Amino acid sequence: MSLNRRQFLTHTMHGFSGVALAAMLAEEARGESPKIDPAKPYTPRPTHFAPKAKRVIEVFCSGALSHVDTFDYKPELIRRHGQPLPGNEKLVSFQGPNGNLTQPLWTFRPRGQCEKMVSDLVPHIGALADEICFLHSLTNKSNTHGPAENVMNTGFAFDGFPSMGAWVNYALGSENQNLPAFVAIEDPRGMPQSGPNNWANGFLPAAFQGTPFSSTKPIRFLQRPKGISAAKDEATHAALRVLEKENLTDFPYDANLAARISSYELAARMQLTVPEAANLKVEPAHIRKLYGADSANKNKAAFANNCILARRLVERGVRFVQLFNGAYASGGNINWDGHSRLKEQYDVHGEILDQPVAGLLRDLKQRGLLEDTLVVFATEFGRMPMFQAGTYGRDHNPNGFTAWLAGAGVKGGTSHGTTDEFGFRASENVITPHDFHATIFHLLGLDHEKLTYYHNGIQRRLTDVHGQVIREPLA
Amino acid sequence: MQRVRSFLLLCFITTTAVAAEPHWSLQPMKCAVVSGGSHPIDFFIGKKLREKKLTFSTEADRITLFRRVTLDLTGLLPSPTEVRTFVRDARPKDEVFMEVVDRLLASPRHGERWAQHWLDVIRWAETVGFETNGERSEAWHYRDWVIHALNTDLPYDKFLRDQLAGDITGADAALGFLVAGPANLPGQVGRDEEAMRSARQDELDEVIRTVSQGLLGLTIGCARCHDHKFDPILQRDYYGMQAIFAGLRYGNRRLRGAKNDEWTSQVPVKQKQLADLKAKLERQRAQLELRKPLDSVHSDEFTQITARAIRMNIRATANGSAASLYEFEAWTTDGTNAALASGGARASASSFALANQTRHFENLTDGSVDRRQAFPWVAAKGGSAWLRVDFVEPVTLKRITWHNGSSVPADYTIEVQRPDGEWQRVAHTEDRLPRNDDTRGASQVKLKNLSVDQTQALVSIIATIRKTEGELNRLAAGPQIYAASFTTPDPTWLLERGDPMQRLAKLAPAIPAALGQAEIEPGAPEPRRRLALAKHLTQPGHPLTARVLVNRVWQNHFGNGLVDTPSDFGKMGTAPTHPELLDWLALEFIRQGWSLKKLHRLIVTSRTYRQASHPSEQALRVDADARLLWRFPPRRLEAEAIRDCMLSISGKLNLEMGGRGFDFFNQRGGLSDYVPKQTFDANGWRRMIYAHKVRMQAVDIFGAFDCPDAGQMKPRRTRSITPVQSLSLLNSPFANRQAAFFSERVRREADNGEAAQINLAFRLACAREPKPSEQQALEQLAMEHGLEQACRVLFNSSTFLYLQ
Repeated sequence: MSLNRRQFLTHTMHGFSGVALAAMLAEEARGESPKIDPAKPYTPRPTHFAPKAKRVIEVFCSGALSHVDTFDYKPELIRRHGQPLPGNEKLVSFQGPNGNLTQPLWTFRPRGQCEKMVSDLVPHIGALADEICFLHSLTNKSNTHGPAENVMNTGFAFDGFPSMGAWVNYALGSENQNLPAFVAIEDPRGMPQSGPNNWANGFLPAAFQGTPFSSTKPIRFLQRPKGISAAKDEATHAALRVLEKENLTDFPYDANLAARISSYELAARMQLTVPEAANLKVEPAHIRKLYGADSANKNKAAFANNCILARRLVERGVRFVQLFNGAYASGGNINWDGHSRLKEQYDVHGEILDQPVAGLLRDLKQRGLLEDTLVVFATEFGRMPMFQAGTYGRDHNPNGFTAWLAGAGVKGGTSHGTTDEFGFRASENVITPHDFHATIFHLLGLDHEKLTYYHNGIQRRLTDVHGQVIREPLA
Repeated sequence: MQRVRSFLLLCFITTTAVAAEPHWSLQPMKCAVVSGGSHPIDFFIGKKLREKKLTFSTEADRITLFRRVTLDLTGLLPSPTEVRTFVRDARPKDEVFMEVVDRLLASPRHGERWAQHWLDVIRWAETVGFETNGERSEAWHYRDWVIHALNTDLPYDKFLRDQLAGDITGADAALGFLVAGPANLPGQVGRDEEAMRSARQDELDEVIRTVSQGLLGLTIGCARCHDHKFDPILQRDYYGMQAIFAGLRYGNRRLRGAKNDEWTSQVPVKQKQLADLKAKLERQRAQLELRKPLDSVHSDEFTQITARAIRMNIRATANGSAASLYEFEAWTTDGTNAALASGGARASASSFALANQTRHFENLTDGSVDRRQAFPWVAAKGGSAWLRVDFVEPVTLKRITWHNGSSVPADYTIEVQRPDGEWQRVAHTEDRLPRNDDTRGASQVKLKNLSVDQTQALVSIIATIRKTEGELNRLAAGPQIYAASFTTPDPTWLLERGDPMQRLAKLAPAIPAALGQAEIEPGAPEPRRRLALAKHLTQPGHPLTARVLVNRVWQNHFGNGLVDTPSDFGKMGTAPTHPELLDWLALEFIRQGWSLKKLHRLIVTSRTYRQASHPSEQALRVDADARLLWRFPPRRLEAEAIRDCMLSISGKLNLEMGGRGFDFFNQRGGLSDYVPKQTFDANGWRRMIYAHKVRMQAVDIFGAFDCPDAGQMKPRRTRSITPVQSLSLLNSPFANRQAAFFSERVRREADNGEAAQINLAFRLACAREPKPSEQQALEQLAMEHGLEQACRVLFNSSTFLYLQ
């Protein structure tokens, strides 16, 4: 902070809603919390250091994707198929007793130059192994979907904390002043388990919350009401501008009133820009085909459209896009929670996930966007290497699971961290969600310890009081 | 900047030099001398202003002041008639204003407005939160209790005591306070010991947060895993506090009162009815020579028989759902159970259900009926099903026992396979009287030797018994409310790093040592613990209780508290801008018998409150946020006030008070798939505090205006400005429909042309007369595009949306 006193006062008057000097100094002492001008909450703000990634797409598999059936190849699990898990023969986990070790339900094959073993459930993603850094030793402290999703997306098991996207939005603002800076794209089959908490602003100002919309669910109230013509709507806006200007002459220097005027202006711009950004009809056939948007499978086509939408948004400078694959708890029918009939259900879900996500990565790459866009692939936890007793599925496993990173600043074709020989527990280079978050922040040029916000007695952080940047995956 | 910083640093050093002193909020309140004959609030505020070379603004004009105080005290707008009467009143203006304040404070609308502020603090909602987010259907009683308490000016010390110990003080509904927060349902908690202990710790943690942040303004919750990093709160203080609530349970409880007495008085009559019905059924049973109904754990005895295998054919269950048993036992003549997997017996069944947990037929012979640890067999679908157990070698059986699962068999046979391979029936239900919970219709009940009419008569008595039993249970349980209930407390342990599996030492109930000593002996009976806490909190010299409360009230009048971290008076919170005033107000509040209405009156009649809210360039330079109150700080209305005011302007506001809330969504609880309602009827046009509050679901349109979703405590709302707000108020069906009602009303009440209509519409929304430019813009819009559009504009205008 190098403002002199005079600049400071001028800044206070015109800019942010005037903070008492002491409070401001305290802020300074506390770290590098961004200063928000309420009239322009999405103004681009500086990073803490040079970033590798300018924006993030987070693909989140709700319901807990089985790592042992997708990305974490365990030959010993195949060899010992049908035997009890050594040392944990009577293991009782979330839903109850477990049965015997069960080999992956899909065949693993070497993929890419790096010959990474990836299963036939996700062959399209597997084919891009050279772009990906697999993190095999994620852990979660909760073994329950809702709280665990919260941990992965907000750092805390409880509801009410700001999501990673909200933190990023708060820290960096946006490169596009005509679109929401943070968009959450729901799965066409429904909301993820912990719903809007995944993109909540928590105690951060509401301006930083994710705006939910998707190819099947547009922004609420975006368009003028039916029966109101464009001319009528514009006349209404014009009259409102007169009133607002009049009010501002009574209350000059009021940053909040100025901010209200600009929020109406942004809303008006969004009425034009959002439909343009969300207009997938202009995408050529070969692109739609790349993502699988031409599929006869309705859910696959809809998810593929969501992936195209994600690309169109980051292309336009949206800072953070969450892309959900899988909905809420449903006995595994519409998300990855395969307790009872994993093979049958995952065959359905895999088809929806695989090609669209791979298409997204390929498309980002061919447009050069992958150079400064980070793609994060995550889920709330993994699944057991055993079948549950009395079912054909796997129980929750927060002790070890896989996430991956691709794109900006990421060393592709690599793997970091391991689980034990069965995929039961993270054994080497164990990664907490806080480490995961710290690493994502790092790629964005943010120091997770410096980005704070005071709430109820604590300078809060996304990473609580934990988190270490994982260096190995970084290019 | 550097110089300023050094100066502040110096102050910091000076303060830390006397570090032995307790933190300001833990020091006794000091009574400063007020001199000069002015209103005491103005004395303190004026003193600080003078120090900064600032002055009070002039008094706000009458209309602005009237609109402000009406919105502030009731959350609704004054009507144009009220405005006119007020402005034209020729009596001395102080006298008129006092009268207005008293009228507003006496209005039932006042409690409705201010109750919301309290509900924000404690994140009250009517669903449990977490992933199930199930409905708490009887939680609304607490909301009504708060509104009533504020409307009747229940002294704050009593308000507080009732909420901690309403079971003793005769205010059961007040106990909704302690269990206002989210809590995981037992079914959502894992089955292992660690998960169950953690869940209990989490439940109590929510209570501690509510009490400590809500009443004490201390973040005691931070000491769950370690001593507080900033405040003098030790980890053992946390668990001492936990011990005070160790007997607390979440759930419904009896609501005592007239209704309860009435219900209780009806119980004997119902009991008699039920006994008569049962006697009648028993007579018929004897007459028809039927055997007694099946129990939920039932044994069939038979002549001993040698068996290779045994099977049970279930043709129907009592409630019609899929056949299910926890366990099936086959007892031999020497008293052992031959149907155990551990003994080599092999179970099989017609099918088993696939679910998140095992429903496999192996569960029939696992030797466990512990419903917390073991699982039942459940057939894949309803209708007939069979199960079978094959023995290692032939056994001699004389009895079987089954334990019901998710359903109870109603119609079945048991068959044994003899060594010769033949199957022989050994038990059946064809002469069994159905159970009282058997919901099958008469046509489905097959009883041997009974005529259709006889079966029909039996089924009909059974249905009447079922209904009467339900009625009796309801009356005996009394009217229910969702509120804390209490059992004998479990011991409380100090936990290593908060880990429920690492118990260090048993702790007695206690308040944090830094606050002194509440007299709670280690083995104190449950209610004594809470009463001791209430007594401690309401002692007149308590350094926090009154300070925290008067600060909350101040904040809701001025937008900012004297302390702007209203639930954190600890070191991480901010210091008061006017410490002397805070103490003076707190002491005065206690002196006035903890009366909230007297406190409101004191504040709103001050010059400080009655100032204009216009900015001054010079003052903004010194104090941009007007924390020193050189003006009344203007602010946007809260979500509830915006909706309530839109409805009141449109003429649709329904002032019905209390009871079950109206719905913003298609469902009142549940994990997902909430669809916001787009249009409302009269019930949905009640004040927003009467909306059924779903946790973690932002309300459509008004959620965007920072209406908290009760996920976390919200002692102070953010006041954000977003494009989503603009889109909602401009384009939502709710806003447009209300704008149409608004225009209809205006046409009805001022039918003499656009000019008069716009004038009235403007005064309805903004209280004051429109300025010429405003009048002209709206009039032109109305002429060209209809009055409704002018009304739509008014809903979006800052003059309407702001408290100025």
